Amino acid sequence: MSTLTSDLSSEINGDIELGAGGANGSGDGRRVIAPRGGRRRIRSRVGRILMYVVLSVLLAVVLLPFIWMLSSSLKHDAEVLTVPIQWIPQTFVWSNYSQIWQQVPMAGYLMNSAILAVVITFLQVLTGSFAAYGFSKVRFPGRDALFLAYIATIAVPWQAYMIPQYIMMQNAGLTNTFTALILLQAFGAFGVFLMRQYYVTIPDELSEAARIDGLNDYGIWARIILPLSKPALASLALLTFVNTWNDYMGPFIYLSSNSLWTVQIGLRSFIGQYSAQYAMIMTGSVISIIPILVIFLAGQRYFIRGIATSGMKG
Amino acid sequence: MTTIAERRNAAQHDSPGQPGAASNRPGRSKARALRRRRILVGWSFILPNFLGFALFTLVPVIAAFVLAFMHWDAYNAPTWAGIDNFTRLIGDDSFHVALANTCLYALGHVPLTLAIALGLALLLNQKLRGIAFFRVAIFFPYITSLVAVAIVWNMLFNPTTGPVNQFLHLIGIADAPGWTASTTWALPAVIITSVWRDMGYYMVLFLAGLQAIPHEYYEAAEVDGAGRWQKFWNVTLPSLRPTTFLVLVLLSVSSFKVFDLIFVMTQGGPGRATLVLSQLIYQDGIINGQFGYSSAISLVLFVIVLIVTVFQFKLQQRRER
Amino acid sequence: MRMKRTLIAAGTVTAALILAGCAGTPSSNAGGSSSGKTTLSISVWNYDKTPEFKALFDAFEKANPSITIQPVDILAANYEDKVTTMLAGGDTTDIITVKNLTDYAGYASKKQFLNVNDIAKDLPADKIPALKDYDFKGVHYAIPYRQDFSVLFYNKDMFTTAGVADPANLTWKEFAADAQKLTTGSGADKVYGAYLHTWNSIVQGYAAAQTGGSPLSGKYDWMKDQYDLTLGMQKAGTTLDWATANSQQTSYQTMFETGKAAMVPMGTWLIAPLLADAKTGTNKINWGIAPLPQIKANGKIVTDGGPTGFGINKTAKNVAAAKKFLAFAAGQEGAKAVASIGIVPAYHSDAITKQYFGLEGMPQDAISKTAYNPDEVNLDSPVSSTAAQIGTILNEEHQLIMTGSKSVDDGIAEMESRVKSEGLVK
Repeated sequence: MSTLTSDLSSEINGDIELGAGGANGSGDGRRVIAPRGGRRRIRSRVGRILMYVVLSVLLAVVLLPFIWMLSSSLKHDAEVLTVPIQWIPQTFVWSNYSQIWQQVPMAGYLMNSAILAVVITFLQVLTGSFAAYGFSKVRFPGRDALFLAYIATIAVPWQAYMIPQYIMMQNAGLTNTFTALILLQAFGAFGVFLMRQYYVTIPDELSEAARIDGLNDYGIWARIILPLSKPALASLALLTFVNTWNDYMGPFIYLSSNSLWTVQIGLRSFIGQYSAQYAMIMTGSVISIIPILVIFLAGQRYFIRGIATSGMKG
Repeated sequence: MTTIAERRNAAQHDSPGQPGAASNRPGRSKARALRRRRILVGWSFILPNFLGFALFTLVPVIAAFVLAFMHWDAYNAPTWAGIDNFTRLIGDDSFHVALANTCLYALGHVPLTLAIALGLALLLNQKLRGIAFFRVAIFFPYITSLVAVAIVWNMLFNPTTGPVNQFLHLIGIADAPGWTASTTWALPAVIITSVWRDMGYYMVLFLAGLQAIPHEYYEAAEVDGAGRWQKFWNVTLPSLRPTTFLVLVLLSVSSFKVFDLIFVMTQGGPGRATLVLSQLIYQDGIINGQFGYSSAISLVLFVIVLIVTVFQFKLQQRRER
Repeated sequence: MRMKRTLIAAGTVTAALILAGCAGTPSSNAGGSSSGKTTLSISVWNYDKTPEFKALFDAFEKANPSITIQPVDILAANYEDKVTTMLAGGDTTDIITVKNLTDYAGYASKKQFLNVNDIAKDLPADKIPALKDYDFKGVHYAIPYRQDFSVLFYNKDMFTTAGVADPANLTWKEFAADAQKLTTGSGADKVYGAYLHTWNSIVQGYAAAQTGGSPLSGKYDWMKDQYDLTLGMQKAGTTLDWATANSQQTSYQTMFETGKAAMVPMGTWLIAPLLADAKTGTNKINWGIAPLPQIKANGKIVTDGGPTGFGINKTAKNVAAAKKFLAFAAGQEGAKAVASIGIVPAYHSDAITKQYFGLEGMPQDAISKTAYNPDEVNLDSPVSSTAAQIGTILNEEHQLIMTGSKSVDDGIAEMESRVKSEGLVK
């Protein structure tokens, strides 16, 4: 990797602390990686305590329905929809959590949801970031109009075109397959839009320097742009994963075989024609949230701590 | 300050950055070849995503728009309707109600969610012990089951026994709103719930955007003597413009086609107080079997959102100049 | 470098998953004959949790060893949406289960099912009163296998404790008075004398069936009395207020089983879950059924109800076998299978009634037996191509009336003007 390129990018990204007066106090002028992102450091103790109080109130407001879910998951069906709401179950039915795996093939459903979510997220991130480069770094006629049309189609509610889309898939023989869902959801405008907005903040001097060094556009995308956009990639991956994991209508319409069903379908299978197993639905809902939480907790350091700069040394 | 402004503008401007030497070279053919090359390159990047998008989304959407000019019951052969569906739209009371509700919903949902998501991102973009826990917590509303959200918020909003009204009584408001039981307050209630639900989602987008702001911008501002508010106003906000635009457009688009939360929470009621266009499309198309008519409604919805989005685009472009 | 490795890893994992996913794709439904055996595909909802289908299919397969039934399992929650989409795509499922008459009206007016007048002709019309419900402009497009109607579920112990006579033959006025006597407690411990569920059929359906009024007529003043009664009970606090019940998604089964309401007017579909819950010990109340309260005390029991049935898809591949199944399900054999689970079959006979009351946990008193055999079961909404749209309007106004946003008179007037202005009155 050319030193010219890496020097330029490091300087622009605030990596180099020049001089003795730098924030990190490195007087020998060595390169110090300063993280991007305007974080404010709370100095005063009072301020910190106040911050915690505000955050805790926020927490209560934000977690209340989840607490209801949790408490419902540990009740008998007849106790879930009582009026008024009983926040603490009369009897803690822990067996709900063991029974659900036998009542419906929950493990299989989780696996199916995982397969779909991972594949669709990967394709969405890949093609989205790839296309975003074309929309932001390459100028060609009709680019902006095309982009606008892309965005505008997000506006059409799915109910409007789900039947023509289904007929198309039926004729292609793709109903009752994962392939149908993957094809429908992996190529959305959302990913393109998100990545393009992020790419726009990456200075063109970087790609120009790389071009001078001999990289073509594809190389620039892979070696310069992509590593610099980790926060955006991470947030796109997370949001796509969550949306796919929680998607109900798509899998419902396209997947007929029980062996292909996803978690969301499985949860609603507890709703009968005239009655429902409310507690089980909530038990399943709690279980289905766990993978998302894990991914969020694991992935949030990618879009918070800005490891974007570290990719440069590759 | 000027250096930073210049840099910022240079960074956000969509200029392709002509290699200095090449553009000075004479020869129209060279320029044309360059242009052709750029078209090829541009399309080669877009093609994978665009092919999938065109085939599986664009084609059915266009089919749906064509159906707007037909009568179709989603089974038997469609018959030509001309603009019959659109003349029916103009006289349809439920359409007027749904259109008004949808616009009101968007007007309430978009600015509130934008402001709160940005505020939360700024709040949680700091080093504090356990802040990660709070970030996850803010995301919880988005992943909580809609049924749970509807039941708990309806309980909170209960006009007689709910905590919201009890709190309002406490601070002296005697005639508290009826929330989801009242035709005037059902839409605000739904807006509040959906802002609460979406704030974590858009906070994630803002957090990612905040990471793109180089630290040295803040340092330079500090050197110039800027306080916290000035740093926010002169460094953070302008640098966040691409992200703000992203959030604004996504929020607007999703507000106009909102469906799930409202449907689970109030089913469009009481009466038609929270009936939105997506629910009308679902009702008329799938339930009543009048797919041509519901496609006409979708077309109108699309045109409205297109106009709003173009307007936002133009605003963004003008700001950049 | 780390980035590249992560990408390669992600790509490999994804590729592996794609392959796994494709491998897990089963072949599409193949209905048809192979080696003399015919496979009949039937769309059902929640197959595992709805025992009536299994009971019916097992009985049929036993009587017809050359036919195997393959259920097409669709979630109950969005059953109609999926069936509409499937049929739009040209799906070839042989038999479609018809959930209710509004759905039936859709299938019939779009001519998505085969004409089964030949089957209907051969069935004993006197024993299957629900048969005529499926008559759409002279053609039957479906055959009923089950018929539910509204009765009054009541908690016997609460009546005894309060010293109120059993609700043998109530009028609506007596019903409201009894509810007053049976309402006790307050706040979280409140027990309601009655629970009137939030559906518009709980007011409009009863009124239609008992006054003879029709939702298709465009005139709705016949609903007024029933609304006045219901709102009166809500005001007196003898039933849970509509707004709370609706927003909290209150379950009538929960209200009844937890002893929160002494009387619940509801369809006979509630019987099977009550029996099942009694077996598992979740339902501990001493319950019975009584005839639905009437407008006048003249002895005739008129209630509302509707059938559930099967229709044959126009693009079905196994029409002969399908017709056999329809006849079986509607006849005595099908009725026996369905009654064994506590579902009320469309086929009525003394033998079936005896079998039904022989179920474990079924209340044996005379009132229950009277309730089981109403004099008249009227449709709360006749079959028509405009039924769905009218139903939406009536439901929207119902919500406004019950939340107090509109007075009964204004609500009824609005119903009439909206139905008229949308050209729905034929």
